[in-house]
Amino acid sequence: MEIRFHGRGGQGAVTGVRILATALFYDGKFTQGIPMYGTERRGAPVVSFLRVGDERINERDLVHEPDMVVVLDPLLGRTVPITEGLKKGGLVLINHPKGGKETGLGGKFKVATVDATSIALEVIGRPITNTAILGAFAKVTGMVTLEAIEKAISEQWSGRVADMNVRAVRKAYEMVSEPVDVSGVKPVDVVKPVPGDRDVSSWRLFKPEMDKGKCIGCRRCYILCPEVAISMVDNKADINYRYCKGCGICVEECPVKAIEFVQETI
Amino acid sequence: MSKPVPLSKLDEKEFIVPANSACQGCAGSIVARIVSKVIGEDMVRQEVACCGPAFGNITQPVFYGEVFEGAGAMMTGFARAFNRLGRDDIRVTGIIGDGGTTDIGFQGLSASAERNEDMLWVCYDNEAYMNTGGQRSSATTKFAATTTTPVGEFSRGKKERKKPLPILVGVHRVPYMATASVAYPEDFIGKLQYAKPVKGFRFIQVSAPCPTGWNYDPRYSVKVAKEMVLSGLWPLYEVVEGALRITYKPKELKPVKDVLRSQGRFRHITDEEVDEIQGEVDEFWGRLQEKDGGPLF
Repeated sequence: MEIRFHGRGGQGAVTGVRILATALFYDGKFTQGIPMYGTERRGAPVVSFLRVGDERINERDLVHEPDMVVVLDPLLGRTVPITEGLKKGGLVLINHPKGGKETGLGGKFKVATVDATSIALEVIGRPITNTAILGAFAKVTGMVTLEAIEKAISEQWSGRVADMNVRAVRKAYEMVSEPVDVSGVKPVDVVKPVPGDRDVSSWRLFKPEMDKGKCIGCRRCYILCPEVAISMVDNKADINYRYCKGCGICVEECPVKAIEFVQETI
Repeated sequence: MSKPVPLSKLDEKEFIVPANSACQGCAGSIVARIVSKVIGEDMVRQEVACCGPAFGNITQPVFYGEVFEGAGAMMTGFARAFNRLGRDDIRVTGIIGDGGTTDIGFQGLSASAERNEDMLWVCYDNEAYMNTGGQRSSATTKFAATTTTPVGEFSRGKKERKKPLPILVGVHRVPYMATASVAYPEDFIGKLQYAKPVKGFRFIQVSAPCPTGWNYDPRYSVKVAKEMVLSGLWPLYEVVEGALRITYKPKELKPVKDVLRSQGRFRHITDEEVDEIQGEVDEFWGRLQEKDGGPLF
């Protein structure tokens, strides 16, 4: 069985695959965890692969036609063709707060969802969704036991960090939804970034919201925005959300606290 | 002598195409944007291997050098060529990472400073080779965990001190040398404006914290830079024709402990190790204050 993981740099797609490959190995399977090397930066789309079988695997290629796709980010599908090459009757496990039919994915496959971002924020305190999704993976595929995942996690980390991740795994195991058939759903189009007019809005987990009444026009957020997403309109800061990655520097640096950081809703 | 420029005096014109491919909260891209804005239309940007291409989305000409250690040589070539063409208006400006400046590129830096080539070298200092995954550089602070100096049974992070590069450039007797920080844009812009018309070798090293490599929440990028200045880890000063001047003097330095502990790369350090860094910071700050207003050496 071949699985492709989609995520963003910083969400731990590579580490997640390594832990899962280790866990499957403890359950008596032959596994390969394959990271895809490139110019990944925090927030940029990344991909990694997992191959698992009951016999020794001699194939060393990247996965092109996966049986299953695991997606660590709910909005990734807007800019990356995440179901490309997915086999008929395959399965998509996606980190998404809504049900399988409302993810914008459609085609001859099933979709299971789990709100791994909320679980990670609640349990770990940071939006790192790789371990939470493994709990959901264990439930929907039945291929790996929770004990094996927990053992693999305790090898990767120790102490408090390991405990937090184990809790995230267990919570996702309980919260994941049943896979639903989406063959009748019309998929949302994938929009590839256009050179010279990048849209990085899907990188955001949190959104800076500006209270223009409070803005004193000091220009600190304007000069410190790494993306130049903030311009000055009538001497008030104005955020262009197409260009905002949601780093939160403006929220932190505003001297009058006119900018609030709110979690994105999907 | 540079003067801080109030942000209200800034030109609205922007040379950056919004949204780049750098990490969330990248302070290096703030540096590149401010440099582009201040140097303006006359800028010809030079780059070597660093995170720079991730925020190279500017409308000014950019030349990307293939040779990591070749920043000094490349910029020398450009500066002399423009000079020969009679284009004295063009400002050859390098936006080079700390690796390409402090260790791999040091020979070129030193040589072009010695020859007093007409260039502005801006080093954005994120204290490691962040573009390739965070390997230690000579600009990395002592005890910092990097991918080549991980913390474990036999290692406490980087063993060596940070190279005092601004001083090393200062003793080359270059026309202008300064340190700056993204947390003090007024000061940084003032230094750039002062350096822009000066002929000869100008160097500005800018503190640019890296959320990915330093392991903290991206929203604190500027806050970390500010705390570094307030604690004396990153003093702001300039050397004009051999004379040193501290451009920002905190009334009292904050202890370095809090700023170190707020970064994941220093999470392991013990109180004794904090004291060691504190001692070095205090000593350096003391020496700077002694030299303030007088010759660097």
